[in-house]
Amino acid sequence: MKYAMLIYGDDGAWADLPEEERSELRAAEMPQWTSLFEELGKADPSVVGKELDGRSTAKVVQVRDGERIVTDGPFAETKEILGGAFLVDLPDLDEAIRLAALVPSAKHGSIEIRPIVQ
Amino acid sequence: MQYMALIYADEEAWSGFSEEQRAAAYEQYRAFGREAEEAGVLAGGNELGSTRDATTVRVRDEETLVTDGPYAEVKEALGGFYLLECESLDEALDWAARIPGAHHGAVEVRPVYVDPNEVQL
Repeated sequence: MKYAMLIYGDDGAWADLPEEERSELRAAEMPQWTSLFEELGKADPSVVGKELDGRSTAKVVQVRDGERIVTDGPFAETKEILGGAFLVDLPDLDEAIRLAALVPSAKHGSIEIRPIVQ
Repeated sequence: MQYMALIYADEEAWSGFSEEQRAAAYEQYRAFGREAEEAGVLAGGNELGSTRDATTVRVRDEETLVTDGPYAEVKEALGGFYLLECESLDEALDWAARIPGAHHGAVEVRPVYVDPNEVQL
């Protein structure tokens, strides 16, 4: 079964930090991410992971009556926003839950697991 | 540069669709996928199962908390996405406007962030 693990977190001040500082902060969490990547790679060698750029880079596109409307995003007006996702093929939901709990962001944000429609 | 086009739409409307309506909607998506692929901008994409089948995981004080349902209850939920390889944000927005969901729901376009120091999956 293929699952999407959607990583929601409060990006707050994070998104406004200069890239250098972001990289430094990230380096502190790096060992946890590295071991997560190893676990994901073992479970599914073709796992895909994507991180999204911050809130301020989001745009929302809608088309109504043939007219394109572009607004600043993100679309959902929640404090926590989608920050990235893993797409991974796993034997069952229990395994998805086990791996989701290993995502460092699970400690301060939420990981939503959704089956992928084949 | 990669952009994620996140498709938000009313799940209830979708579940109320007849077989024919669904088939027509899928055909629109397939047509979009073909066009994007032929133009060389399609780098991936998936439809997500309903939020009814979502499970949310949090870890607090070393304890794993598992709840049924999505992270947030919203009328228009994330239903799928495309990964687009585009030269610019403007190009990504042009493609996003052609996604069927943009015509009844909304498509959020976000650049994919690549940390130069990070191991890439």
